[in-house]
Amino acid sequence: MMKEQQIGSILLADCGTVMTKAVLLDQVRGQYRFIAQGEAPTTAEHPWYDVTVGIHHAAEEISAITGHQFFDGGGNLISPELSGQQGVGAFAATVSASPPLQVVLGGLVPDLSIASAQRAAAGTYSLVKAIITAESRGIRRDEEHVRTIRDAAPDALCIAGGIDGGAATPVLELVESATLACALMDQEVRPYLLYAGNARLRKRVVRIVQGRAELRIADNVRPTCTQENLAHAQAELDTLYLGKMGQLPGIETLSGWSSVSLTPTARAFGRLVEYLWHLGDPSKGLLGVDVGAANTAVAAAFDGHLFLTVHSRLGVAFGGQQLLQKRGAETITRWLPQPMSDDQARGLLINREIHPASISQVQRELSLEQAVAREAIRTALKVAHPGWSAGSAQPYPHLLPLCDTILVSGGVLAHAPRPGQIALTVLDALQPIGVTTLVLDKHRLAPLLGSAAAIKPLAVVEALDSGGLVNLATVVTPVEGHAHCGDTILKVRVTYEDGSALSVEVHYGDLEVLPLLPGQQAVLELRPLRHFDVGLGGPGKGGQRRVGGGLVGLIIDARGRPLRLDRNPDKRQVQMQKWLWDVGG
Amino acid sequence: MYYPFQTQITPLTNVRRERVLPIPGEVLVRVGQRVEPMQVVAHTHLPGDFRILPVARLLDIPASQVKKCMIVKLGDEVHQGQVVAKRGRLSSHTVKSPIDGVITSSGAGRILIETEPTLFELSAYIPGTVSEVVDNYGLAIETTGAVIQGVWGAGGENLGVLKCLVEGPDKPLRADTIDPSCHGAILVGGLGLDTTMLERAQELQVRGIVTGALPSELISQVLQLPFPVVVTEGIGTVPMSTPIFRLLTTNDGREASISGVFQPRWPIVRPEVIIPLPAETLSPDRTQPDAPLMVGTRVRVVRAPYMGAVGTIVALPTYARSIDTGARVRGAEVDVGQKTPIFVPLANLEVLR
Repeated sequence: MMKEQQIGSILLADCGTVMTKAVLLDQVRGQYRFIAQGEAPTTAEHPWYDVTVGIHHAAEEISAITGHQFFDGGGNLISPELSGQQGVGAFAATVSASPPLQVVLGGLVPDLSIASAQRAAAGTYSLVKAIITAESRGIRRDEEHVRTIRDAAPDALCIAGGIDGGAATPVLELVESATLACALMDQEVRPYLLYAGNARLRKRVVRIVQGRAELRIADNVRPTCTQENLAHAQAELDTLYLGKMGQLPGIETLSGWSSVSLTPTARAFGRLVEYLWHLGDPSKGLLGVDVGAANTAVAAAFDGHLFLTVHSRLGVAFGGQQLLQKRGAETITRWLPQPMSDDQARGLLINREIHPASISQVQRELSLEQAVAREAIRTALKVAHPGWSAGSAQPYPHLLPLCDTILVSGGVLAHAPRPGQIALTVLDALQPIGVTTLVLDKHRLAPLLGSAAAIKPLAVVEALDSGGLVNLATVVTPVEGHAHCGDTILKVRVTYEDGSALSVEVHYGDLEVLPLLPGQQAVLELRPLRHFDVGLGGPGKGGQRRVGGGLVGLIIDARGRPLRLDRNPDKRQVQMQKWLWDVGG
Repeated sequence: MYYPFQTQITPLTNVRRERVLPIPGEVLVRVGQRVEPMQVVAHTHLPGDFRILPVARLLDIPASQVKKCMIVKLGDEVHQGQVVAKRGRLSSHTVKSPIDGVITSSGAGRILIETEPTLFELSAYIPGTVSEVVDNYGLAIETTGAVIQGVWGAGGENLGVLKCLVEGPDKPLRADTIDPSCHGAILVGGLGLDTTMLERAQELQVRGIVTGALPSELISQVLQLPFPVVVTEGIGTVPMSTPIFRLLTTNDGREASISGVFQPRWPIVRPEVIIPLPAETLSPDRTQPDAPLMVGTRVRVVRAPYMGAVGTIVALPTYARSIDTGARVRGAEVDVGQKTPIFVPLANLEVLR
């Protein structure tokens, strides 16, 4: 790490698939603060073919606001900082603009080695093109495997399978198929072969591969039936992704500017989530979701351990059309408060893909975008959740673990016109339980602060303390009781700082919003009825909590978990519209 | 300042297109050589088919015994139906090759038979002069002409004569206007298409279609067509932009290259129509790729409610304004020929150059 005491201002940049963001941190009265932000389309493609051009454009916006100049006449970053607001003390960048790693996975059992391999691949920006499994039978199985790999033309093959000391023959057969496929492919397009299976077979794997593919070995992702160990395989795949990132035009210049290694955006985001966990209730988890144009990242921290999942198939601009074709339009349109035909939805999603940097100017298109955001989060969560070791924070395995805070990031959420829309999108997608604080990354700082931590941790701490993130709402969600729609399930009393109080009886099926402004504190007293659990010690247990206000306020989400939408489309649209009104969306 | 995306709608410009082989092969032309659109300028051999014969499993013998049972050896050519392995001298337990090919590998009780590689030929796509060759990989061809970039497309590349079948950019292509004279033509429409029209076009073997918008219910049908389709505005029912329609109709009757290839990212590949035109001296393209939006810039709106509208920026307000969704955004006032300029978010504008 460079000498921290010499660093003054810090310029941070994130090169996303569609947009490039730049943020300036600087000291004000001796403390670091978030000063200004700029945003511009990413310039990796025609006509620029240089990601640093987008950073110039984004930084220009900061210069226009602050007068701070960052580049010299030749376009080079000025560092260290000079007098007269010229240059910066340090620069760091995160990147998600490059194509994801194309991966083919191989394993024995879908629920074990293959699921673990999928979670390992999901720890970085990757696309699983195909899965080959030893479960398939038939004389032509080897040929099918080789054909599948060759047709997928992946960057990497990840073969898992067999607990340590367990199954050997089927694992080695998979390795043989993978090696044969590599040998059949032209040297220039030959994939890496990552072996992350039965550790006792490593020597035999090396003998089988025998130089016919570039082989990497990682710890078994499933060393026992009940244990999962993804770190090494994830690190290897992450390294391969970094190699691909290195092919982005302009990346060498960007690397030259940076005070630390360039970081994949999701990894930096995860770093911040991990740090925030240490500030909160250690008995609960901390969850972060970042919904980008092309990728959705879910970072969860439990007991100090970070679980990072990146879903590269689905963001707000890209992937919606494929999701619609794969799972049907209703997967997305069910979240809309107004009718929309399948063809209309498909057309709008394609137009969104054609112009990924554009924004919705009419309400129905915005509603569709927020519906896609819900499904992007749900899809990423479906991959992530089974891999979490949440311990006592997971009282109900089929529901989300208890989370002290949920950090919400990404353009579609940060730029939503009304805070209620953001809150409802997150509540519908994640369906938190108990008492949770939703925190909004309004200025898209989270991954940038995660990268700044490698330069000057104090800057991150102080930038957060000075309001870098904004409270969106405190949410109370009673779960697992027995009630019919309309039954009273919770008594709530809010005592404000001025001594005034508000008492409310909450009915099953309702979505209530009580006033509690940003900066305000209140004492929240909860008395669950009918065996409902509000996360204060178990079913039926109530108690008091000090809570903070937010842009939306205090939300009591008594709609039930899991959330059930009306099957009738007309009634469902009325339901969605009502919920939007309830949260001020 | 805002740096928008751009769409090329240019009546006359230098055109450079790279032609790249999918895997290394051979470039057949040299720098300075004149080429025609259908001329093969490079070729390579793509890996052929293969079969993996699990000989040990088929003969029910250990893998170590396979070599003894093999009748052919590595490198031998085999034909479909030919016996390649046999268990015992008198046994009728045999393994036959399922395809014509060559035995290229054996091991672990299996043999690999590969067929001949298939020839892949790359055409020039546009008439012009070879300006650059990268040995074994590809080349670049340059010409002068008009370029019309679309926003969505389907199908591959083709060559044909432009034929405009509508009177205005807001008129749809109709089946009753497609007659035998459309054979070999690239049809130009305006507002949209329909199923009957597409079937008729297919019957008469047109070479391509350019349209303003495509109704979403026709996407599946268009993806199956044997010729390229280029959409200039988007999915829905939006008229073709007037400048694009004018450029295409001005060149009615000229030969054009059309590509329906569309990839939204990694890399972005846009469908297009290129109309080769002579140009004795071409003035340099004055548009800078890195030019920010300014008053006077010609722009097109890419999202509803003004999708497809083309106009000129008359003001760039400093402060954000509210739009119908309630969001406050920075935008531009654009004169699209209505009584008053419209306000459009900067992110929803692209430059036509």
